[in-house]
Amino acid sequence: MRKITALLPLLALVPLRGPAASDEVSTIHVYVDSDLCARLMLGPITDARVSCSQTTFKDGSMPVAVQLQNNMVFTVNKEKMIRPLVGQLADLSGKINVRNGTMKLASATPISADSIRHDDRARLLIDARMYKATGNAKLHESIRHELAMMPYISEFDFISFNLVGPTVILTGWTVRQTNRSTAEAVVKNLEGVERVVNNIDVLPLGSFDMEIRAGVRAALQRMLSRYFWGNGSDIKIVVKNGQVILLGIVATKEDSDLAFIQANGVRGANKVFNMLQVRGTKKEA
Amino acid sequence: MSLVFNRWRLIGTSAILFLAAACSRPTPPSRVKRIPAGQENAGFLSTYVNLRPNPELENTRTYVSHNTLKNLHRYVAMIVEMPVVYVSTNVDEKMIPDRGVAALTEYFHEALDEAVEDAFPVVQSAGPLVLRLRTAIVGVDVDSETPAAQRDPQSLEHALNIGKVGVEMEIVDSETGEQIAAAVDRQNLGEGAEVGSVTFTREEKFRAATQAFDGWAMRLRAFLDSAEELSPEDVARIEERNFPYASAGTPTK
Repeated sequence: MRKITALLPLLALVPLRGPAASDEVSTIHVYVDSDLCARLMLGPITDARVSCSQTTFKDGSMPVAVQLQNNMVFTVNKEKMIRPLVGQLADLSGKINVRNGTMKLASATPISADSIRHDDRARLLIDARMYKATGNAKLHESIRHELAMMPYISEFDFISFNLVGPTVILTGWTVRQTNRSTAEAVVKNLEGVERVVNNIDVLPLGSFDMEIRAGVRAALQRMLSRYFWGNGSDIKIVVKNGQVILLGIVATKEDSDLAFIQANGVRGANKVFNMLQVRGTKKEA
Repeated sequence: MSLVFNRWRLIGTSAILFLAAACSRPTPPSRVKRIPAGQENAGFLSTYVNLRPNPELENTRTYVSHNTLKNLHRYVAMIVEMPVVYVSTNVDEKMIPDRGVAALTEYFHEALDEAVEDAFPVVQSAGPLVLRLRTAIVGVDVDSETPAAQRDPQSLEHALNIGKVGVEMEIVDSETGEQIAAAVDRQNLGEGAEVGSVTFTREEKFRAATQAFDGWAMRLRAFLDSAEELSPEDVARIEERNFPYASAGTPTK
C-alpha cells in the first residue's frame, strides 16, 4: 500500500528558484504557440510544431508565448496582441511573473530567426540539432515515477515532463494549485536535476467547467468503463474555458474515436481536442 | 392639506421603519445544539452505521466510500461549512454566550480551511465534483462565572470548557448529500483547555484551545490523506501507463 504522508503538500511551501515576479519590463524572444501544442510538444520549433500551433489555434486553443531560451510558457494578459503571430517568432516586452507563468504584455513584434545571434541561448528551440532530450535514463525514470506517484492527481489533471540535460521541463494542466508546486518540489529534489521549468497550468474551477468535467467523465465512464478503475482512469480529461482535451492511452483507434464522440456530445463542451494515444502507436499533436 | 400631512406621515413612518431595520442586527441562527441524553453520538452525521474503528487514528471511527462512482478521488473541490456546536447534555444553554460560540466556530472553520485547501481547493458553491465538509464540535461545557474583576470587554461571562470535546465530521456530495466519508474523533485534545474571550486566538492563556482545534483539523487532513492512498493494483496500473507525452522522446543510455 502506498503511503501518502501529509508532508508532501508541505513541500509546496519551498520557495521557487529565481524571481517570482518582476516589476521591470523585460523583452524576451518567444515562439507564439497555441496552449495545447506549447504544453504537449516540448521540442524544437519544427514544421510539425508550427502546423500544430496554427491548426489548434484555429480550432480555439488560446495563444501563449514560449520563451525560446528555456521553453517556459507564458499566458499573456492581452491575447489580441499575439493572436496574429501564432506560429511565428516574436519579441515580447512586458512584466513577467515566473511563478504563475504569466506576462503583462506591453508590446509584441514579429522577428525572424536570423535576427537572433548564433551564440544566444534563445536559439535553443529554433535549431532542432541543438535541442535533444538528453540526460540520464535513470533520472528520467525517477522523474516519471515521482510524478506518477503524486497524491491528489485526478482524471482532471495531466502532468508530463521532458528532460533536457539537467533541466526538467514540467508541463500539463491541473485543477489543484498545489499539484503545480508539489511537482516542482519533488522533481527539484532529485539528484542530477539542476533546473526546473514549470509549465503546469492551473485550471479554473468555475461551475461551467466543472459541469463539463463531470459530464465528460460520466459519458466516458458509461461507454468506456474499462479505462476507469477504483481511484483513477487511463483517460485524462482536461477542461479549460469550455474546451476539452482528451489525453492518455487507449487500446484501439475505435476507443479513441468513441471517446471523442462522447465528449463532443456533452453540453457546454465547445471544442474537443482528441490527444489520446492508441497503445502501440504514438499520436502527437 | 390632510393629504399632504398623510403623505409626510407615511414617508416619516417608512423612514423610521427603514432605519430601525437597518440598525438592528439580525439575530444569528443559534449554532448551539444539545447532545441527546444517554446518546453516544450527537446525531449530527447523516448516518453512523458505516463507521468502524480506524487503526491509524486513535479513538476515532471512520468511514470512506469505496463506490467506484462516488469516492473521494472523484471530487476536486470542497465547501467547508461553519462548524456546529453541541453542548453537553446537562449544560444550561443560556450560559453559553453567542459570541463565544462564534469565536470557537470561526477559529475551527479557519483551521479546517487551511488543513484541506491544498488537497481540495475550497469553493463557496455547490455543484458537480464538489464536496461539502460538515463538522460539529461535540461536548462543549461551561465553567463558572468569570469574576468581574478579571473581565475585560472581550471576556466571556462564562468560559467555554472544551476539556471533554470530540469532533464529528462528514464529507458529503454537495449536490445529493450522499455521505462519501465520515469520522467521529473522540481523541481528547482539549484537556484543560478553555475559551474565555472572543479574542482567544491571540491570547497565550488559550493556547491549549487553539492547539486542540488545530490538532483536530490536522487529524482530518491525515484521514483524507490515508483515504486517498492508492491500492497496489492502482499503483501498478499508474506505473504501467503514465508516460510523458514529450515529443522529444525518452533519453537513451
